[in-house]
Amino acid sequence: MRFLGALATLLLVAGFATGARAHAALISVEPASGSILTSAPKAVELRFNEAVTPGTIRLIDGAGRARDDTRVSASGETISIAMPAGLPQGTAVVSYRVISQDGHPVAGSVTFSVGVPTATKPPANADGGLNILIWLARIGLYLGLFVGVGGVFFARAIAGSTVGTAVPRAALFVGVLGAVASLGLVGADLLGLSAAALLTSAPWKVAFATSAGPALLVAIAAMLISLFALQRAADACRLSVIAFVGVGLSLAMTGHAATAPPEMLTRPAMFLHGLGVAYWIGALAPLAALASNPTAATLPILNRFSRIAVPVVAVLALTGLALAIIQLENLAALVETRYGFILSIKLALVLVLLALAALNRFRLTPAIARDHKAAPALKHSILLECGIALGIFAVVAGWRFTPPPRTIVPETPLAIHIHSDKAMFQVLVSPGKAGTNDFVLQLMTGEATPLKAKEATLTLSLPERGIEPMEREAKLGPDGYWHVRKSELPFAGRWHVRIDALVTDFEKITLEDELEVAPP
Amino acid sequence: MSKRSCLILIAALVASPAAAHVTLETKQATVGASYEAVFAVPHGCAGSPTVKIRVQIPEGVIAVKPMPKAGWNVDVVEGKYASEYDYHGNKLSSGVKEVAWSGGRLSDKNYDEFIMHTVLADSLKPNTTLYFPVVQECETGVSRWIEIPTEGAGHSESKSPAPGVKLLPKP
Repeated sequence: MRFLGALATLLLVAGFATGARAHAALISVEPASGSILTSAPKAVELRFNEAVTPGTIRLIDGAGRARDDTRVSASGETISIAMPAGLPQGTAVVSYRVISQDGHPVAGSVTFSVGVPTATKPPANADGGLNILIWLARIGLYLGLFVGVGGVFFARAIAGSTVGTAVPRAALFVGVLGAVASLGLVGADLLGLSAAALLTSAPWKVAFATSAGPALLVAIAAMLISLFALQRAADACRLSVIAFVGVGLSLAMTGHAATAPPEMLTRPAMFLHGLGVAYWIGALAPLAALASNPTAATLPILNRFSRIAVPVVAVLALTGLALAIIQLENLAALVETRYGFILSIKLALVLVLLALAALNRFRLTPAIARDHKAAPALKHSILLECGIALGIFAVVAGWRFTPPPRTIVPETPLAIHIHSDKAMFQVLVSPGKAGTNDFVLQLMTGEATPLKAKEATLTLSLPERGIEPMEREAKLGPDGYWHVRKSELPFAGRWHVRIDALVTDFEKITLEDELEVAPP
Repeated sequence: MSKRSCLILIAALVASPAAAHVTLETKQATVGASYEAVFAVPHGCAGSPTVKIRVQIPEGVIAVKPMPKAGWNVDVVEGKYASEYDYHGNKLSSGVKEVAWSGGRLSDKNYDEFIMHTVLADSLKPNTTLYFPVVQECETGVSRWIEIPTEGAGHSESKSPAPGVKLLPKP
């Protein structure tokens, strides 16, 4: 047990070393998306809410041609795309596909027009059924990790018998296949390529640049070790335990949940959650086999499993609850977002699973102790559990395609950039429509270093509607930006924005600009 | 009264609309000469009585001596000038950078003046306006008379302009 603890600690530390946050969202574009410019910009800058790695960035110019002469450079959360010289007039589209810190791709397009707007369309994404393949590969991976590795762990470490390990063995083969396929598919998805590109090396290389690559390798290693543990008797128990820890580790290394802040909480929670699932679900297939052919050894095994299962279920529920709270942020998201909807279905299935488990634990297992005739009922119940578990895997694999509510940026905020030789102010207005708006003022010096202000004031007026200046004090937030919350912009139109930043007691920097506010 | 000085008088009257701001009483001064800067404080901060007046001394204004004021303490902050100035044969490289009157209480209903004696260095550019940013601290709130119009910005009406004095060339 000491060996196991040391191993888990080591692997956990290795997993934490990738200091990461999660699922990126685009927060501003310079020049603003949809803007009409008199001359072509030198560069387009995309700013995200976290550091990202560029996947593919494509430019379609105003003449509708795809250009390959852009230069992409990334530093932290900003991606800068240097525009080729001599862009033709018309609407150009920059479509981007970047890799978040959780290893998932985030894609979108922004447009700007040189001279006059034209009808250039964003390029269609080459999906080509890739999402279905990713989903299937992921279900395969879950089968391998939970049914396979979990099953071998049950057989070797809990039951001490290889009865009913045919299913885990098959699951392990499916799992290895699914993990390898996932690796290539993740890469192809990041690059925006079709499944046919799996024959080239590019997607595989890219996959290893993300957190998904190492995580999948750990998963494959765990499954191979598990197969090994199934094959030979010597050291089988120890090997099965190592593989079992690998399941939790692999899950804690990547994905929405494991990379959600605070990681000190989410990564260990994901690790324990993975172990819990593997323990519970892995045991089902061997248990069903044991129950269909009960012997004298069956009951002690059943009892041993049940004793450990009760605290395991408690850990599962606790870690699952913690992760759900972090990801959802509020209860309404449970029904209002696709992520929450998937979670709702999962929770419903889990409740059924729990009911069956309770039935097995408190009714059917004691019944077997009295009379072996109860065994078929237990077997049916366990088989039903297996079916529901498979359903949960299928549902949970769908999370790969939905951003968790915590990362959803309500709507792309309106952004204006005011520049003088003294200072640069970036103003984000969300939602940027008539009505109640939140303002974020990012104050920088002319050299783009943060500007230390003592006070900041936002003044808004709408001269065309005779609205006189409204003055609002901004508050310095913990993010280092100045915030004005819930400010009313009663009408759409061209608002005048003025920002006063008090730099010293006697000096103040004032910048002004216009802000086009859309109707609600 | 000549027609020209009459026009200047009218312009001066128009330029100080009801004296709602902290201003300098003497609106013009000659470079290379002494200047008595008289700061007129016509009211408190949104009704609250004034308890402190801080004046930042702009570059090129030297040999600053504030006039003591009954009921008020006067303090100065000294510092280095950006360049050296010739004053009666002496080289001045540092001096008063800020003057503060505090400890008094000027009701919103009353008017008062805060005075300092200064010398305007030769190097100041004639036909420009020299601004003295003022921070008026009150029992509740602060008014900052620190806005300096940018060159050629036209007549944009600022809300709390710094008091200024028009510099005239040496006769």
